[in-house]
Amino acid sequence: MRLSVVSRIIGAVAIGLAGAGLVGSGPESDAADVYLEATRPDAQKIPIGVLGFLDGATSARPGKEAAEVLAADLRRSQLFTVADTSKLGLAPAGAAGPDRQKLKQTVESGVKVLVWGTIGMREPDYLLDRFIYDGGDDVAAGKRYVGPASVLRQMAHRVADELVARYTGEPGIARTRIAYVSEKKGARELFVMDYDGHSAKQITSDGFLNLTPQWSPDRKYLVFTSYQSRTRQNIEIADLATGKRSPLVSLSGLNITPAPSPDGTKLAFATSQDGNSEIYTMDMQTKALQRLTVHSAGDLSPSWAPTGKELAFTSDRGGGPQIYVMSADGSNVRRLTFDGDYNAAPAWSPRGNWIAYVCRSEQRQYKICLISPDGEKRAQITSGQSIDDSPSWSPDGRHLAFSSTAGGKTHVYMINSDGKELEQLTFNGTHNSMPAWSSVEAPKVESQAADKK
Amino acid sequence: MSRVYRGTGVVVAVGCLLLFAPGCSKTLEGTSGSKTTEQAKPAPVTLPGEERVADEIVVAKAEPSSEAAQASKQRTQEMQMEQAATTKAGLEDVFFAFDSWQIKDEGKQALNVNGQWLKANEGKSLTIEGHCDERGTQAYNLVLGEKRAKAVRSYLVDLGVDAKRLAVTSYGKDRPFCREHNEDCYQQNRRGHLVLRVK
Repeated sequence: MRLSVVSRIIGAVAIGLAGAGLVGSGPESDAADVYLEATRPDAQKIPIGVLGFLDGATSARPGKEAAEVLAADLRRSQLFTVADTSKLGLAPAGAAGPDRQKLKQTVESGVKVLVWGTIGMREPDYLLDRFIYDGGDDVAAGKRYVGPASVLRQMAHRVADELVARYTGEPGIARTRIAYVSEKKGARELFVMDYDGHSAKQITSDGFLNLTPQWSPDRKYLVFTSYQSRTRQNIEIADLATGKRSPLVSLSGLNITPAPSPDGTKLAFATSQDGNSEIYTMDMQTKALQRLTVHSAGDLSPSWAPTGKELAFTSDRGGGPQIYVMSADGSNVRRLTFDGDYNAAPAWSPRGNWIAYVCRSEQRQYKICLISPDGEKRAQITSGQSIDDSPSWSPDGRHLAFSSTAGGKTHVYMINSDGKELEQLTFNGTHNSMPAWSSVEAPKVESQAADKK
Repeated sequence: MSRVYRGTGVVVAVGCLLLFAPGCSKTLEGTSGSKTTEQAKPAPVTLPGEERVADEIVVAKAEPSSEAAQASKQRTQEMQMEQAATTKAGLEDVFFAFDSWQIKDEGKQALNVNGQWLKANEGKSLTIEGHCDERGTQAYNLVLGEKRAKAVRSYLVDLGVDAKRLAVTSYGKDRPFCREHNEDCYQQNRRGHLVLRVK
């Protein structure tokens, strides 16, 4: 169904959660009666079976975890429906695979793709061999992934991304990361976790405030606001590989909401050096500043269009905060949101077709909404009693990470852009917020040898 | 593939695995001439046709430098001293309505008292912190908090206090005084918090 107008969407029933068993424990989702084209209806999804990984030769028996990670990735990809393999009567086997006749029957019965594999050991590495059957006489050429036990989950994620690429030509997102802010001893520190909430790593240990993280497009750096003292805060850049940090913007006043441009050449941010919050860009090479907004109201939270030609931002020039759009040189400012008296924190989809933001609903709840850049289509994708904040798109434009207070504490959640499949990502501590989703990895240049089948 | 092969030891190991795996440890032992190397974990190898999976996004555990740790400790101590001095001076905070940075009558009364104190203590300076309740976005609350802090400063300046003695900052909703999710608590968090500077 096509996305319909707002009046139809408001009040839509949250049905998507019933199956997920999350009602009551998480923010509610509006599995609205709308089809946002970023996601696929079930009818177009590919049924897939993950038969498992034989791991008898390894002492740690990593097969179960690898299969679970892979199945979860495939389900989240929105491209596959994952079949209940216990009902298929097929066990994983080596390169030869399960009985060919049985494979064929299963695929003909509707589970179009079957995946299985083996995990062996070649000190100090795991060897993960994956096999695919999707009909016909042959099993697709096996592929071997190698890596230490510490990257087992990444190996399973790699298989998921390979399957997404195989059937859609698009890179998967299973190996992306989410940066976020977490409370530690009353302070706000930066963390990075896998996109599925695993393997959280602490980045800062300042004992004060670090806020509004964003990734550099090459995923090597985080930019964020760091309080040096009560009155001085910088926008800093941290090299994730070395941990080295350096200041980027140290103007007087608030320096907040940094946003690297899609090509990485500029940094947009808000500073109050002029007396109230204004949006500037900084050339990353020359450090030259360009002021984009000139207004006595507060302008903040710039978010780049994927083209780099426009920015969405929050401004309270109309009274309460609303979403505006302007050209990258600050010209052509236009107001985008008119529904409700509080709309903030815009995030432009990497596909360009939606801007996600925080909207205050008629029930005075802070929810995640989407609006098309021409302002014609709008949808509220979360509902219920909670404060939802800081939407951040997955690089495939199919998911949003955001924070929500629905469970009492503030945690990071993931939701499909159509409001379905809500998933809680953080569980520790009392406050996890401001999620920022990394870009997808740069396409791999496959070696000659790897292409040989 | 070239980046995978580093040093002859690895090449030997590769040859080993390909051609005569059972004799591998012996070959390595012979090459290195040391028994400890034999027991050490073999170097990872990636053979033709294999793909090595590494962490695409390397995240180092950023240990704060001793300098940074010292600065952090100093900052914490200084903030504690400032808080103690503020309490002793009897400075009063200002509270705001939801979504608002207008100073209410109670706030004006509090600021009149603070203004007298500032006039009596010419050498002292303040930091005015803007705080917000948990409703709304973290980012916009930073700006709202700054508006509150600036409204307080502007009222004190109108009373005749030199603006140079009044620094402003905002913590938005990220350093709350109260953590409950109710109006009593929200009321506590919508404030202009006056802090006496110690240096």
